[in-house]
Amino acid sequence: MIKVLPLYIKAAGFTLLLSAIGIFLSFVVGIAVSLTVYCKVKFFSVVAKIYIEVARNTPLLIQLFFLYFGFSRIGLRMEAYTCAVVGLTFLGGAYMAEAFRSGFESVDVSQKESAQSLGLNFLQVLRFVVFPQGLSVAVPAICANSLFLLKETSVVSAIALADLVYVAKDLIGLHYKTTECLILLVIFYLILLLPISIYMRKLEKKMRFASHGV
Amino acid sequence: MSKISFKAAASLAITLIFALSLGVLSACEKEGEKQQTANTKSSLDVIKERGVLRVAVFADKYPFGYKDSLGQVQGYDVYFAKRLAKELLGDENKIQYEFVDPAGRIPILESDRVDITLANFTITEERKQKVDFALPYLKTAIGIVSPQSALVKSIADLKGKKLLVSKGTTSEDFFRKNHPEVELLAFDQITEGYQALKDGRGAGFAQDNTEVLAWARKNAGFQVGIGDIGTVDGIGAAVKKGNTDLLNFINKTIEKLAAERFFHADFEATLRDAYGADANPEDLVVEGGKI
Amino acid sequence: MYEGIDGIRVIFEGINFQRLMVGLLVTLKIAAVSVAVSIPVGVLFGILMTSRKKWVRLLCYFYLDAIRIIPILVLLFVFYFEITRVFKIQWSGEFVAIIVFSMWGIAEMGDLTRGAIRSLPKHQIESALALGLSENAIHRHIIIPQITRRLIPPSINLITRMIKTTPLVALISVIEILKVGQQIIEYNLYRNSTASFWIYGFIFIVYFLLCYPIAEVSRRLEKRWG
Repeated sequence: MIKVLPLYIKAAGFTLLLSAIGIFLSFVVGIAVSLTVYCKVKFFSVVAKIYIEVARNTPLLIQLFFLYFGFSRIGLRMEAYTCAVVGLTFLGGAYMAEAFRSGFESVDVSQKESAQSLGLNFLQVLRFVVFPQGLSVAVPAICANSLFLLKETSVVSAIALADLVYVAKDLIGLHYKTTECLILLVIFYLILLLPISIYMRKLEKKMRFASHGV
Repeated sequence: MSKISFKAAASLAITLIFALSLGVLSACEKEGEKQQTANTKSSLDVIKERGVLRVAVFADKYPFGYKDSLGQVQGYDVYFAKRLAKELLGDENKIQYEFVDPAGRIPILESDRVDITLANFTITEERKQKVDFALPYLKTAIGIVSPQSALVKSIADLKGKKLLVSKGTTSEDFFRKNHPEVELLAFDQITEGYQALKDGRGAGFAQDNTEVLAWARKNAGFQVGIGDIGTVDGIGAAVKKGNTDLLNFINKTIEKLAAERFFHADFEATLRDAYGADANPEDLVVEGGKI
Repeated sequence: MYEGIDGIRVIFEGINFQRLMVGLLVTLKIAAVSVAVSIPVGVLFGILMTSRKKWVRLLCYFYLDAIRIIPILVLLFVFYFEITRVFKIQWSGEFVAIIVFSMWGIAEMGDLTRGAIRSLPKHQIESALALGLSENAIHRHIIIPQITRRLIPPSINLITRMIKTTPLVALISVIEILKVGQQIIEYNLYRNSTASFWIYGFIFIVYFLLCYPIAEVSRRLEKRWG
């Protein structure tokens, strides 16, 4: 069991790195897409809406297989790692966009109108009124999405990326020490995910108090 | 503050409970195994009562175990499985197939989901500790198939390159243990390994030579550059550890079938098309369990 | 040998299309049974989560956290490889999938129910208690009727989430649409070079066509009743 520990630690590092990159890029894509929809940019907002629906209504595993095994057959060959990042961002971007959008929409119209009547231009309204309030409303959803994305990375082993599941399955196949390998797998996921989950619970409580205060 | 430490304690408790329960489970299991061997009813009777033989086969390993375009299970392993069902239950169709990945072949026996694993299962010392193997009915070494344009002729050619393997195969095991300098890319499905090879994701694909030879014949531009890595191993049927009745039955059947050269017939029926007219069955087939 | 756009034939060759649809039925069966179990049991679980007894709440949160934190794929592996082996139960991959998905669904549905109950104004329950209603009566006449409407949209959404998670069961050897697709790709590996593009693309579209309408219904209901 001790012998395989370094393998698990390395894999956990990979899972974290992949998640971090995926979550960061999802964040960026999410903001861009949600702004496109929120500001009703011609044509692009329609594309953005279609993107959100397609990404949210298809499974990541299928997206990955399609990217990795499907696209390569029509001449678009991507490394497994690239596929995983693209897949995670494709999926996460849509979820993040929804989180931001509902945050922005929670800002009362009257606030925007008063800001405009005070002479703020469109960008200023976004920057000083919509963004600060909308983002703070979106925080719990963003955290939930991050947790979701970290968990979703468990499927990248299917395209031969050495994450935690890959290592566990590999060791089971080689040494048939099923029990030990699975225990380690569960423990490692708990170590990775518990802190985020606890932080989320705290945050949710805070937000609830905040909303009661109004 | 007290709220936070409560949460932390709670989460710690979850971790511990999980780890402990799995630990306890594995302890229970060892107890259970002891008990089970103490009072077994003949496993053959259990199968006869059920009226169907449950066999784990591959669904994606042409020409040993695969599904054709009509969804029918075919192949060398399947041909043998049918004969076993006929000998045991009097009807070659009284089989319930379960489909496995290479890495799932032992767990599926351990969890009693099937009676026999007949999935191109190479007999190794490590595996013998987990399951019981019957006599071999085929022999193999490891081969590496690679593109003709960049043919892998020796293991030294692989330095600094990626080698594709399937998880839980003898090929993976061999390279992990003897050639840690070769970087491996391991896939769940054998199919995925081949496709990755076609997509140029690795310098070559290491698999049983029995299989890569067949594959290279059907795929222009690919060739088996080395076909005899490691030792020549037997491929055999496996049953759950301690299932002696079924094991003896399979062994006796294999010995009996030698007289009618059953596995040569199996070769002609299922492998000939894959290996071509000039292939010699003696290179692969094992009769009566004698390699 | 088919090349390029011609490769799309692979979907309709032989009985391939039929096989894919049979695989899809397996997918749908797993999702449907799990949802059917999750919704009623999950609502009960949610009511338990609001229990006044602290140890009951604590147990419920343990369960919720454990299920939520561990990825479904890992749960599937633990159940498929381990639990069945240890307890000597012969569950098929399909049954394991239904068990794991139901466990997950119960946790999610429970949390939704808890949220809905918590959102009810406290004074309603306090007045009911003051009027001398029993806890059961409060649940039956005050809480359940009010939360039902609120729970319908997320319950429908849970169906799409279940469906979207089903491809994972291919990794524990359940022959559903993805696995059937892989078998077809394998058989066509040297006859149709673009088979995997078309098959995976087809499955991608099938999932979208299944999930999008359900998600849309859920959203509309939420808007109307929200």
